[in-house]
Amino acid sequence: MRLANLYRSTPFRLALAFAVLFVCAFLLSGLVAFDLIKKELNARYDNRTKEMFSTIAQAYADSDIQDVIDATRAHIAATSGQRSLFLLQAPDGRALAGNVAPGSVPEGWSERPGSDFGIKGDYSYRLYSGKVGPDNLVVGTSNEETEELIEIVAGSFGWASIVVILLAVAGGALLASRAQRRLDAVGDTMARVSHGELAARIPLLGRGNDDLDLLSREINDALERLSAAVESMRQVSSDIAHDLKTPLNHLKMTLEDARLKQDRGLPVAEELESLAEEVGAINQTFEALLRIAQIESGARKARFTRIDLNEIFATLAEVYGDVAEDAGDALVWTSDANAEALISGDRELLTQMFANLIENAIRHCPPGAIIRLNVTTSRDRIDTVVVDNGPGIPAEERDKVFRRLYRLEKSRTSPGTGLGLSTVKAIAELHDAVIALTDAAPGLRVTISFPRLGGPSGEAARLHLTGS
Amino acid sequence: MRILLIEDDRRTADFVVRGLSENTHRCDTVADGRDGLFQATHDNYDVLIVDRMLPGLDGLALVKAVRAAGVMTPVLFLTSVSGVDDRVEGLDAGADDYLVKPFAFSELLARVNALGRRPALQAEPTKLRVHDLEMDLIRRHVERNGQTIDLQPKEFELLELLMRNEDRVVTRTMLLERVWGFHFDPKTSVVETHISRLRGKIDKPFAVPLLHTVRNIGYSLHAPR
Repeated sequence: MRLANLYRSTPFRLALAFAVLFVCAFLLSGLVAFDLIKKELNARYDNRTKEMFSTIAQAYADSDIQDVIDATRAHIAATSGQRSLFLLQAPDGRALAGNVAPGSVPEGWSERPGSDFGIKGDYSYRLYSGKVGPDNLVVGTSNEETEELIEIVAGSFGWASIVVILLAVAGGALLASRAQRRLDAVGDTMARVSHGELAARIPLLGRGNDDLDLLSREINDALERLSAAVESMRQVSSDIAHDLKTPLNHLKMTLEDARLKQDRGLPVAEELESLAEEVGAINQTFEALLRIAQIESGARKARFTRIDLNEIFATLAEVYGDVAEDAGDALVWTSDANAEALISGDRELLTQMFANLIENAIRHCPPGAIIRLNVTTSRDRIDTVVVDNGPGIPAEERDKVFRRLYRLEKSRTSPGTGLGLSTVKAIAELHDAVIALTDAAPGLRVTISFPRLGGPSGEAARLHLTGS
Repeated sequence: MRILLIEDDRRTADFVVRGLSENTHRCDTVADGRDGLFQATHDNYDVLIVDRMLPGLDGLALVKAVRAAGVMTPVLFLTSVSGVDDRVEGLDAGADDYLVKPFAFSELLARVNALGRRPALQAEPTKLRVHDLEMDLIRRHVERNGQTIDLQPKEFELLELLMRNEDRVVTRTMLLERVWGFHFDPKTSVVETHISRLRGKIDKPFAVPLLHTVRNIGYSLHAPR
């Protein structure tokens, strides 16, 4: 990974930001500790200075300065190097005893560079000055030790900082590059998908349960659905093209016929009639396709109202009872006595859906068939059943019949767009209903299970249907 | 009738104008939404036919503006989008009827006639009468030539619609929408079945038929001529 890329990567930036934050915290805590140590050391040296001052001052007795001079000298003797400073000055400024050149020092605590007293070196001194009888005693301690100690502390702290910064940046870069590799895998996969390789999936590089893996799995699932949708769309467009070819060919042939007849001066009304019919059929196919697309868009959910499915069945039973009778069949409607079958839905679409199922039954059953409509209400579901005792649908075909433009081989010749059941499925799915085709031995049973309005909805439907 | 057609597709416009003129209507055409709005609000028409998708001002906004201007001329929407939402939107905006493209001219003519002759303000009749067929809307009672006829509720609605449109063609689609609330084309002979049942009750026992089939278009109820 190039440096510019590394800098652009989010994980690296995060690691870097974290390292900076970490170092700042480290330095801040170091400064606080440093300050505390320094204060503590100074306090200790001040104590020692004051102690020495007191010891010397105690030697003073009744205007005899000699004992003080002796005590001062003794302390000077005990001092190695120039760590401590002693100066006993007479009121006129003359040095009575001391290890430095005389100078004027104010009473109390003060801090002065060693050069003021003719001491070589850069160190400064903390001085305590006070009266001993008529004379002035100054005791001081150099900050040499403090400085040295502080230097050591600062030095080690500096090294520690460097190590911490290096570790933070290197660790961050390492972690970042690992995260980046996985992000790159996601990016690469998406690039491949956008270039048409719909089967590409993101490899799961983690242990399978971290956030990146969860995200990858989500994306993979989305890709799965997407490619299925694209595949079905491809299927649909080729089906449409295929399905339209036949009627368009018919159109062309009829037109040719009409032209020939026209040339011979014969009337062409019959041909025109048949042309109008063919075009009407093509239009119907498109209408139905558009309608399915519109239903699938889900926009109609906004218009859902409270619907009693019993009312819809009552209407349909009335409308189709006579139609079935004319076809030589019987339509029977049964329902839980007086129980309301309330769902949230779209009356127009639900009417179309059930009308579709009933019409399928009427059209595909030979005369003498019995078509039953049934509505049953349970605690959280409402099951609607349209069942006939006709030829049914072979088990292996039951999934395919929901495909757009799919028609069973045996019904290819009868009129119909092959979109009826696709429409039914789209409407059922819009209502969060689950549709199942089962064998009524003989015949076909179509069960559509709705979540009951006000009942606990959700996965119950699926479990319910697969369980029964 | 004077009809204003607001439609930007020349071929459709020509087709409609030709058809309407042949049926003794006078028809003006406008291709732009804004011009259409001006024309509709500054001239007197019996019916407006409005395309949904127009340049300048779309059909929906146009109808809203026409209604906002206080013009209550009946409006028929022509729309190539058959989505129910679009139709509901159209009717909500103030249109009186809609027709989905592609349409049969006969259907358009039937709807325009129904809209144009819709009485502006008239007391709701309590009785309908066509020749010797009588319907009492309050008692929900039907009799012909003094003989009571028993009808199912939907048959009653069907007959009522036909009687209210006496001598006019009521198309299959109009029947499906208004009597059964079906907004799709059924694959079985729903309309034919119910018309034939109705015919069996109001025509069969009598000498003169009143309910006539208009081939490929719909049905018409009228006295013998």
